[in-house]
Amino acid sequence: MATAKSALRRENKAKRLQRVGKLARGKFVSAANVAQVLKRVIEPGDILCLEGDNQKQADFLANQLASLDRKDLSDIHLVMSCITLPAHIQLFKKGMIRQVDFCYAGPQGTAVADLVKAKKFPVGAIHTYNELYARYYIDLTPRVALIAAAQADRKGNLFLAANTEETPAIVEPTAFSDGIVFAQVNEIVDKLPRIDIPADQVDLVVQAPYPMHLQALFTRDPAAITDVQVLMAMVALRGIYEKYGVQSLNHGVGFNTAAIELLLPTYGERLGLKGKICKYWMVNPLPTMIPAIESGWVESVFAVGGEVGMERYTAAHSDVFFTGRDGSFHSNRAMGQLAGHYGIDMFIGASLQIDINGNSSTVSKNRITGFGGAPNMGCQPAGRRHPTESWLKVGAEANPGPGSPPGRKLVVQMVETFQSGRVPTFVEELDAQDPSIRKALHGVAPVMIYGDDVTHVVTEEGIANLAACRSIAERQAAIRSVAGYTPVGLKRRKRDTEELRRRGIVQFPEDVGVSPREASRSLLAAQDIKGLVRWSNGLYDPPPQFVDW
Amino acid sequence: MTRGPLFHEQTARQRIAALVDPGSFDELLAPPERITSPYLAQLGIPVSFDDGVVIGRAKIGGRKIYLAAQVGQFVGGAVGEIHGAKLTGLFKAAARDRIPCVIIIESGGVRLHEGSAGEIAIAETMRAIFECRALKVPTLAVICSDIGAYGGMGILSTCCDFRVMTEHGRLGISGPIVIEKWMGKKAYDSSNRALVWKTSGGKTKYLLGDADALVHDDAGEIRDAIARLLGKSSPMSLKAVKARQAELAKRLKRFGQTQDADAVWKGMGVRDIEAASLASGPEFAAMAKRGK
Amino acid sequence: MEKFTKAFPSKPLKARTTKPWALAGVVGSGNLEVLLERAGASGTMECHVETSIPGYKSSWLAALADFATHYPAGGTKVTIHDQGAPPVLVNLRLRQAYDHLTGGDK
Repeated sequence: MATAKSALRRENKAKRLQRVGKLARGKFVSAANVAQVLKRVIEPGDILCLEGDNQKQADFLANQLASLDRKDLSDIHLVMSCITLPAHIQLFKKGMIRQVDFCYAGPQGTAVADLVKAKKFPVGAIHTYNELYARYYIDLTPRVALIAAAQADRKGNLFLAANTEETPAIVEPTAFSDGIVFAQVNEIVDKLPRIDIPADQVDLVVQAPYPMHLQALFTRDPAAITDVQVLMAMVALRGIYEKYGVQSLNHGVGFNTAAIELLLPTYGERLGLKGKICKYWMVNPLPTMIPAIESGWVESVFAVGGEVGMERYTAAHSDVFFTGRDGSFHSNRAMGQLAGHYGIDMFIGASLQIDINGNSSTVSKNRITGFGGAPNMGCQPAGRRHPTESWLKVGAEANPGPGSPPGRKLVVQMVETFQSGRVPTFVEELDAQDPSIRKALHGVAPVMIYGDDVTHVVTEEGIANLAACRSIAERQAAIRSVAGYTPVGLKRRKRDTEELRRRGIVQFPEDVGVSPREASRSLLAAQDIKGLVRWSNGLYDPPPQFVDW
Repeated sequence: MTRGPLFHEQTARQRIAALVDPGSFDELLAPPERITSPYLAQLGIPVSFDDGVVIGRAKIGGRKIYLAAQVGQFVGGAVGEIHGAKLTGLFKAAARDRIPCVIIIESGGVRLHEGSAGEIAIAETMRAIFECRALKVPTLAVICSDIGAYGGMGILSTCCDFRVMTEHGRLGISGPIVIEKWMGKKAYDSSNRALVWKTSGGKTKYLLGDADALVHDDAGEIRDAIARLLGKSSPMSLKAVKARQAELAKRLKRFGQTQDADAVWKGMGVRDIEAASLASGPEFAAMAKRGK
Repeated sequence: MEKFTKAFPSKPLKARTTKPWALAGVVGSGNLEVLLERAGASGTMECHVETSIPGYKSSWLAALADFATHYPAGGTKVTIHDQGAPPVLVNLRLRQAYDHLTGGDK
């Protein structure tokens, strides 16, 4: 017997679809009718999910939504991973949103900060990806989800291509709670290469007049890697990868980690590390990984999303990448984040600011970005039980007490002491602690990764092993020791640094066998995008903005 | 796959050290003399000890040369008064001593902050180059970086007997942004880097005969090309100039109306455009030869 | 532009060097050039800095002082033209110039 509540939801869904009436033929809506359909299926008070992360966007549906007005649609509780498009900002400016719960606002970070100042950004909370997906199953279950797919067939089955990303994480909770799933697709075909979302979880489909927006977010031109970044990469390889025997890992999207990827077939090979480190990856198909893959370093790569231009390369390397039976690349953001949370030895990434306690953030007073997925991976998973060599080694250094786990995941922050324009990375207090930001976020400062979770900080000055510190005072001294000539670094006491260095908690490049004189771009396996294409045997098709031949 | 440093990424001083016989470089007007730009200092812009060009005597394969290397990172390698005077003096010395002169160009042309002085200096340097050529003293330009040879330095490079280029090098008069500004984005999109290199990059310049050698981005190969060309000089006779003029008229007739950079490559006998685009300099040169 | 001069105590440079001066780096965005010459009193490293980004004198002095402590550089004159280089490059260029001067590196 159905409960009253589910019966109501089911009846309500039927009513909404009835209201669509002749504006759809079966599940299929023409592009011209989309705005009308949205008006009829969304009700005030709804939790509305708009698909869009930092790569793919349901941009046609978002633009159609933004073409409506407050009188058409209001009192919406918006849930979405990423506030990325100008259309998303319009929804707030038009006063259609009662509350928003999201993860990240990269390209619109400045606009979001402006909305906060204008008190037009009624935020519930900023989440990490998996935290938000989790709430889709608990208290933020969408009534209507607007999603993006590559292709639909005539029944409404969907093919998501390389950028599966978070579509399943949105569709499942919506479809199984009598919500409405509305998909924009690039094309409608007779037969799909593979079915990623079955038709009975899809209510409405529109062929968008333009293909969905896809950002080449993970493409880093090796030409922009500096000698200093090569130095840091060498220090990290010796002082962390080699030392702990890191087998499985996630890399951030910055140039620092791109340098590490490009050093594996050269410097890494010279150190005899091939087959000993960096075998299993949870990372998007980074073009800068091509030389390492071609050199036989990489066993497997699972990804949260695709990368523009890597389609042919990944299809040709199904022994390394996860691919469908049709040979095309497969990704899944929720599962990738889960893998990055529990399954890896190390997370290594960069940040804009790190405070003396090791907390980091990318938020400033004028730019509110949020988290994305880094905190899912850049944390100690308290539920982890399986040991690995690296996990136990770090754990032993951290000297856990009787009530804590024996191992630790490596959580590494790799930053230059100064950002461009001589802005110091190390600060006494994060901008994220600004009272106005905290107030907008109900008292919670948007800290990306907490100092307690960080095991190591790597800078051009050296490595600070925070996991091995025995007190907060020691951790602060270790951070100051590698903070260079920033105001934070200038406050270090020579005696503290020397003592920490003696105990191996602070290590300078020469302490891990790296001579800064050797650090040179010529060590990189590829010095530019063209070099990557050559390594790929012509299978990598870089986006036009990266092509100069 | 570890290689030596890429030539286009090296600094002027590193390039000199990599090109010439070890220990043979003798710098003229060296940094301790502190002959820096008074104009930049007045404008509160940092100055440089060499004012953006390193000059001196050296040997390549035992053979004496005069050598200049521009510093592209310093105000775009642009030619100011001192920079220009160093170039003029060097080529004059080459003519006086009958010693070949090599210039590694990396410059957008005249330095705006000292425009007139720069213009005059480039004109005087060209005159000195022609003096060399009249005396059959070889002059040679190497163009091997993204900054390339533009403006007055683009013209100056074509006054030399020979040009050695790499696929990274670019050669032109107006830079891409200037062309776009005057002709419109539809005619020339300066942000389309593939278009920019297809129209002014080393490969196209080699096809059209503006570059005499297209070599790897590597000091050893560039040195070999220099050594090969230093044995020759290209005559500055009326006949030679007329022949060149006829060649250019033919080129204009053939390609003057084309909107497509690939059409020039195809017209010059390159069959597989995609493979040619990815090919290294010497591979491309071989493909172009087969096409002919 | 900000200009300053300061001498730091340093152990004397070795008696013989391959040449009387050495230059490292270029003046370009985020970069700097360092000219290192044999000059002055044997117990001090005399520094002249011209930088396009004012307001970082304390970082500069700390970086230069560290260098004078770590390397015997007494009897040298350091002249720097800077266009916004990060301190790590200041260190690296000083070291490169020093190696050139003392013949420690080619």
